[in-house]
Amino acid sequence: MATRAKTLKKKAAPARKAAPAKKAAPARKAAPTTTTTGTLTLPTIHESTTSSGLKVLAAERGPLPLVAMRLVVRAGSAADPADKHGLADFTARLLRRGTAKMSADELDEAIEFVGASFSVGSNEDILSLFITTPAEYFPDMLSILGQLVREPSFPEREVEQSRERTLAGFSNDLDDPSVIADRAFTRALWGNHPYGHDVGGSTAHVRTFTRDDVVRFHRERMGPRVSLLTVVGAVSPERVAEEAEKAFAGWEGGPEAPVELSSGDSVATGRVIVVDKPDQTQSQVRIGGPGYRLGHPDYFPATAMNIALGGGFTSRLVNEVRVERGLTYGIHSYFDAMSAGGVFGISTFTKTETTREIIDVSLAEVTKVREGGIPGGELKKAQRYLAGLYPLRTETNESVAAVISDIRVHGLGDDWVEKFRDRLLAVKPKQTVEVAAKYLFSKPPLIVVLGRADAIGKQLKGLGPVTVVPASEYE
Amino acid sequence: MPKAPAKPAERTADPVLQSLFDVQEATLSNGLKVRLLANNQTPVVSLYTFFQVGSRNERPGITGISHLFEHMMFNGAKKYGPKQFDKVLESNGGRSNAYTSTDMTVYYEDFASDALETVLDLESDRMRALRINDESLASERQVVMEERRARVDNDITGMMDEELGTLVWKAHPYRWPVIGWMKDIENITRQDCEQYFRTYYAPNNAVLYICGDIDPKKTLALVRRYYGDIPKGPAPAPVLDAEPPQKGERRAELRHPAQSPSVMIAYRGPAGRDEDTLILDIIQYALTKGEGSRLVKKLVYDTQLAISVGVDWGWRIDPGAILVFLELKPDSDPRKVEEVVYEELARVAREGLTERELQKAKNNLRADHLRELATNSGRAHAMGHYEALLGSWRSGLTLPSVYSATTNEQVKAVAAKYFVPERRSVVTLLPAPGEAAGEIEDGKDAE
Repeated sequence: MATRAKTLKKKAAPARKAAPAKKAAPARKAAPTTTTTGTLTLPTIHESTTSSGLKVLAAERGPLPLVAMRLVVRAGSAADPADKHGLADFTARLLRRGTAKMSADELDEAIEFVGASFSVGSNEDILSLFITTPAEYFPDMLSILGQLVREPSFPEREVEQSRERTLAGFSNDLDDPSVIADRAFTRALWGNHPYGHDVGGSTAHVRTFTRDDVVRFHRERMGPRVSLLTVVGAVSPERVAEEAEKAFAGWEGGPEAPVELSSGDSVATGRVIVVDKPDQTQSQVRIGGPGYRLGHPDYFPATAMNIALGGGFTSRLVNEVRVERGLTYGIHSYFDAMSAGGVFGISTFTKTETTREIIDVSLAEVTKVREGGIPGGELKKAQRYLAGLYPLRTETNESVAAVISDIRVHGLGDDWVEKFRDRLLAVKPKQTVEVAAKYLFSKPPLIVVLGRADAIGKQLKGLGPVTVVPASEYE
Repeated sequence: MPKAPAKPAERTADPVLQSLFDVQEATLSNGLKVRLLANNQTPVVSLYTFFQVGSRNERPGITGISHLFEHMMFNGAKKYGPKQFDKVLESNGGRSNAYTSTDMTVYYEDFASDALETVLDLESDRMRALRINDESLASERQVVMEERRARVDNDITGMMDEELGTLVWKAHPYRWPVIGWMKDIENITRQDCEQYFRTYYAPNNAVLYICGDIDPKKTLALVRRYYGDIPKGPAPAPVLDAEPPQKGERRAELRHPAQSPSVMIAYRGPAGRDEDTLILDIIQYALTKGEGSRLVKKLVYDTQLAISVGVDWGWRIDPGAILVFLELKPDSDPRKVEEVVYEELARVAREGLTERELQKAKNNLRADHLRELATNSGRAHAMGHYEALLGSWRSGLTLPSVYSATTNEQVKAVAAKYFVPERRSVVTLLPAPGEAAGEIEDGKDAE
């Protein structure tokens, strides 16, 4: 996600715990093999296609008078031209700054007056446009969504302003150690692969963006045949099909199929990058290596294993690094799966003085799992944890829309939700040994540390060749 | 101290909200209040425990203890010893977290509905008989110091917010950060924590909210079984609000290696229960909710001085502060930005909002309210929040009617009352020259 805006920090509420990993894994699930008092039910999905070729999924759901819509376009940052990193996200964010019929101000007013909310999200593979609205305004909001993708006008002035804001945002990002560490990690890990740049791009590229670039990206990459509309909430499927036809009639352009990506199996390993930021009292640490792609059969064994290693608050990493040693406020490990490949990674931070210690302790835990997998009793607990919490993924209209559209976009199979829990609970300790051997740094991982190079450089001896890069390189 | 609540006559419950809140209420003989709300759409439950204690109840020397103590609540009690709480919970399909604010400490769990009894067992065990040992306190102290480094010492917004607090309040405990001063976090003792537990974690200082796939009758019986025999504690001492009136604008400046200047502005506001609070909610929405809101449009799009702007008006027990936070462009002049903000606020006081803006704010407050209530967790938390800050969870159901009755005259009057230089404090962060500043910072850290 290329979120530029920093949200206002609340005065209150430092939570006890850093939130554990929320790297977007495909939907999780639950429903009992244990005995819950209810069963997990998803609303029935109704499918239709508009005359322009857009697939539409509708699911009626109450009791709140709200509707969530999600339009997914398969044109994420991996579709950015080689010299225009960030163009997909930039284009998506500009859609609401004017259409053939409405100016930016008129769009803002139309969406915001009725209490609807509009947002855009992008990742490596897809762009998503979300609207949630009070149910009575559903047709109006769907009609606006249609306008945004069918006939955006990209006014010159808006393109310029947006570019200036984005550049200023990059500059301010240099003050956010976590953001810069992530950016450095992504770049080092993937190198020249289309996944090897930040979704939002970088100063050097965004500076060159013109209106023509945006217009071309929209015309060539965004179209009905690589898109999917999902509507969930207090509206009938018939109504959805009818209104979608009106809203998206005549939408043309875009490719027949999404961009084919080369395999992303060869992520970088064995190197250490130190991002120098001399004003820090704390080091941000990222450790990573290859994972698996979306829809891979290793998903369930790897997920179950990772919960035990670094997914929950009782995981081995949290226990050893945080609970036993007080080295950090937050640590987690994760699998980040994308269409053409994936990552297994660890993310944490600690005070400058204990930078090496946190790396050593984390790697030692990974090694133990790599050598022995997760034993039966511990695995069972991890499985029960995830299985019990899965229904939370189907609580809101937005999350139901997300599950449904993920299933379709990534080809996970329509029985994904129903079978999820069985598949998760069927994982055996032996399988965790297999996936651990595959993904848990059998080759030395890539390590990125952001902090005071003068103080951490000497701590990192023996971990691999060290390169020191100033933080400003990641603007 | 809290002012009188708004006149009840104006407040009627919203029918849609009313239909969502078929709540069973009870108070056990030890004073524990219980609110139960069934929602059988998905097989999950959320349980919230609200304790009326926050940084407001602290004193110099032990600032941050409410939050540090919150961490200790996960480190072992009588039946479930060290590390057991999360282990038992997670392996039964649940997760837990907690937060501390100026006014309250809140613990919550989401879990598969068949884990209900286990969760009540876990929660009541730590309310009954928390055990604090030196080892876990020492370790947790390090974790909290790391948290402080991440949230304050290495975070521009965090450091500005902390500076602003000490400007706005001279006498009130809202003066210090919820996470506490580093030196205090280092020095809080086990005895301090134990005393804190006895004072504030008794059942009569707590309210339990359980929302989700439950049978309210059976659930209440379970609550009685697990919590019923926990002894009542003494009533905690009231907090005295000794804050003197402010007599002029207050300003502070921070120098820090940063790419851009930043500005944070606070106006002293009313208490949560004051009627003006809800009118300020409307003003907050009109100013910064959405791209077309007044300050966003003016500062981000028209003048292009800022990258983002937000107004935060959070209800509190004692009079709080209305915060304006601005993320500027590297070449923006903070004084110029301030002038634009002041002019816009003065315009609200002078001319009010347009009828359309007023209606838009009301529509958005209502829509956000509904969105908040879409999950069990959202409903349980909303009830707790209203009860803690407005005195009753039922007050939450009447919010739409109060918002909808708000007039432009009220908006003008409230803006004119609060957005005056005499109530204002401003913190400006200016980029420090060179990067050497980092070397001297935090040199005394004790590790």
